[in-house]
Amino acid sequence: MSKALVCTCEDVTVTDIEHALERGYQDVESVKRYTGFGTGICQGKSCHSAVAALLQKSKALKSEAVVPFTPRPPLYPTELRLLASAPVDESVPPMGGVPQELEHFPSALRPQGPVPQKAKVVIIGGGIMGLSLAYNLALRGETDVVVLERGYLCAGASGRNGGGVRMQWGTPALIELAKRSIDLMKVFARDLGVNVWLRQGGYLFLAKRKDTALRLEKNAVLHNKYGVPTRIITPDAARDIVPGLTMKDCLTAAYNPEDGVIFPWAFLWGYAQGSVKRGVKVETYTNVVGFETSNGQVRKVKTDRGDIACDTVVLASGAWSPQVAKLADVALPNEPHRHEILSTEPLKPFLSPLVSVLDTGLYFSQSMRGEIVGGMGDPKEPAGPNMGSTLRFVSRFARALTEQLPNVGQVKVLRQWGGLYDVTPDNNPILGRTPGLDNLLQLSGFVGHGFMMAPAVAERMAQWMTSGTSDELFTRFNLRRFEGGALEREEMIIG
Amino acid sequence: MRRLPDATPRGRAITVDLEGESIPAIEGEPVACSLIAAGENVLSRSVKYHRPRGPFCFAAACSHCLMRVDGLPNVYTCRTPAKEGMRLERQNAYPSANVDIFATIDWFFPKRFDHHEMFAGVPVAEDVMAKVARQLAGLGLLPKEPGPTALPSRTLHIKVAVVGGGAAGLEAARVLAGKGVPFLLFERDANLGGRLAHGTPEDGAPFVPEPTAFPQGSVLRRATVIGLYDDEHGRYLAVASQEPEGLRLLKVYAERFLLTVGGHPPTLPFENNDLPGVYAGRAVSLLLRRHDVAPEVATLVGHGAELHALAHLLTQRGVEVAAVVDLKGPLPANAHPKACVGDGLKAHGLRGVGALSFTPQGGHKQKVSCDAIVVSVPVTPGFELARQGGAKVEFDANAGHFRVEADADGRTQAADVFVAGDVVKAGTAKDAAAMGQRAAQALLGGLS
Repeated sequence: MSKALVCTCEDVTVTDIEHALERGYQDVESVKRYTGFGTGICQGKSCHSAVAALLQKSKALKSEAVVPFTPRPPLYPTELRLLASAPVDESVPPMGGVPQELEHFPSALRPQGPVPQKAKVVIIGGGIMGLSLAYNLALRGETDVVVLERGYLCAGASGRNGGGVRMQWGTPALIELAKRSIDLMKVFARDLGVNVWLRQGGYLFLAKRKDTALRLEKNAVLHNKYGVPTRIITPDAARDIVPGLTMKDCLTAAYNPEDGVIFPWAFLWGYAQGSVKRGVKVETYTNVVGFETSNGQVRKVKTDRGDIACDTVVLASGAWSPQVAKLADVALPNEPHRHEILSTEPLKPFLSPLVSVLDTGLYFSQSMRGEIVGGMGDPKEPAGPNMGSTLRFVSRFARALTEQLPNVGQVKVLRQWGGLYDVTPDNNPILGRTPGLDNLLQLSGFVGHGFMMAPAVAERMAQWMTSGTSDELFTRFNLRRFEGGALEREEMIIG
Repeated sequence: MRRLPDATPRGRAITVDLEGESIPAIEGEPVACSLIAAGENVLSRSVKYHRPRGPFCFAAACSHCLMRVDGLPNVYTCRTPAKEGMRLERQNAYPSANVDIFATIDWFFPKRFDHHEMFAGVPVAEDVMAKVARQLAGLGLLPKEPGPTALPSRTLHIKVAVVGGGAAGLEAARVLAGKGVPFLLFERDANLGGRLAHGTPEDGAPFVPEPTAFPQGSVLRRATVIGLYDDEHGRYLAVASQEPEGLRLLKVYAERFLLTVGGHPPTLPFENNDLPGVYAGRAVSLLLRRHDVAPEVATLVGHGAELHALAHLLTQRGVEVAAVVDLKGPLPANAHPKACVGDGLKAHGLRGVGALSFTPQGGHKQKVSCDAIVVSVPVTPGFELARQGGAKVEFDANAGHFRVEADADGRTQAADVFVAGDVVKAGTAKDAAAMGQRAAQALLGGLS
């Protein structure tokens, strides 16, 4: 059948690009994500400029606003076994990273015209937290809401995570939230009209050290108490679930078949479209530059497109939250930490669960498109807003992965990238009112797992904000907890 | 495509195995070239619509030629040398790439199919779709073996690292060698020269030097740069080097990086532009000049100097050129006799090109039979490495592509990154060489 292709790796047609423009995705990064162009084996070599030229010709973008999507290493598909051979000095912290992200998006991308002069609620951050909250507020009738996003949708951690969703947590609060989130993910397409490709292939946690094994066992008891069917299984049983898994040095495994993976970007599109349809304004490429406060209240949010007078401000900027909070003289204890991740060539399905070695933070799964998507934290990673990619990461990851799954040695990496975990002192989020600025609400500090918590957290928060009834979530995880007293630490952090 | 009757013998005649069938090949030539010369045009099926695909770019810059080779998935057959008994399998097709039942997807969705919204929230249908989609997605199979480990990596330190052994890189290397500056040049191909060796001949273009013209060990071939990274010791190139004993990773720290990587053959959007038999211009000149493989009847579409030069080259080698459609015009003085200014392109054919239709300026739509449509447009700059190295990239609205922002001497926003040639602006090989020379001289300033 006759078609004019623009990206042949992913079968993206000229009509697909036109459709994305109609949907309001007009900059190169957004069109890339929405249509999938440039995400295939060639990584945009043959199509990148061709799509940019189409966008420019369509008059959707001024020439100065036509900036390329960030090209990621490796430049050519590269086998994991080769990357594994790169020398790494584990005694020093990781340095550098390429490419550096644009510090500021070109002003030509900023929408014309001012932002609304007033709104009941201003949400700072158009990631999944902010957008899911906007949607849930709108569902409850609160549509006088403005969401401010400094880049395109998916520019932050919500567009950079591995898409894992699990109920296997170490505290009842997070288990309950995750359970509710997964229930909401199951009906997301029904409610919002966008497929999110939830695939419940389970999470398989592996433990190498005895204390890690004990933690898995203890957690499994807790999970069962809360209705999560986690079971401790033998190495042989784990190998039945993942053929080819070596289980090298692994003592035990915990498996919950109801955990899974999703396609993250679609959540942002769905929540954004659902919110806008109900009257919410989502303002991309708009920077918050300050606040006007008086008598313990935020009165105005100042942006580079004008000020917005408001009743309530929600800070949902993920790892950028401390930076934004500082503009209101609020100190948050969160710290940004880079976590790197990669994606391989797409293969036919062979891996059902997301597998994670809890001791090292290694995790890997197979996406709906067939790519192996995985990452591994670096214990030496310093705090800072660095999102560059390193050879050190791909090398460490390749070694750790091929140790557990040797047959992927000749599988080729297509791209690697970095994102920021929003790390708090106790690995738990920061929610609720800000001491000293009563109408500034916190919604950050999710330490790399905000994506999977967002649907449930947003539902609770919208309920709490619109009904005025109390909810222990917003006192338990309030900023005040850091003022003293014992913290309940979450230990089930991976990546 | 066929091997020309006057083909000079270029290697040992061997056979490769295509899904159980013996196919004649020449040892060492890209196996995709052997396949099309033997009349095997469909090498793969596309990921979503299962459209038939044959090789397009011969530059590892698209995905049309990916096959399963000796059990490994997604191998660029356009860059894989043919070996006796090599096992080739076409991916993503059932029961075969020539008759693929999933190609019905292409017919069911004549415009596009929207995987974001299709069956979203429709009970049962969405679950079935998710299961089917997972099975249909993915290209190729997990290898059955871990494969040998890579050779031990090597770390090198050098004054100047040059990436790309085409017109610009070679000229820069000549300058550096003349001044006694230690450098390493990395060329991903087995041969030096880039378009000098396999593009359309160009008046006044420099000759391709022999590797022996440079200080021993300073020119590495079959060495693909995969990234410009940095770490606690400085900035370095990561290089995948194909050595006789196997694959080796090189970490190459340098004080200056000269990126002369050229450009990629771009996609030109027109109807059925992905049919087997649609080739990039530089692919066709490579097949012709290096392998004596050419179409029977070719049509050419595009714009720029290379379009017309290539038309002449094909005619000289006995290929019938049925039409040359210049999309921009006006026609140059040396235009091919079959050239016209036109647009409205459409490729025709079921599993391969059978004809091209187009509308000449001021004329009526025409349909011309051919077995190849050659897309010759200026390459799009390969800016990716420079951007990783901190150079600024801008969109050239006239040319319709991104390019690296640089001054006349190839200086970029990053102090240690220089560029020259097509990566800055698509031009002639002569232009590229001149800029390579200037950049080599400029980068010496401030060098320790």
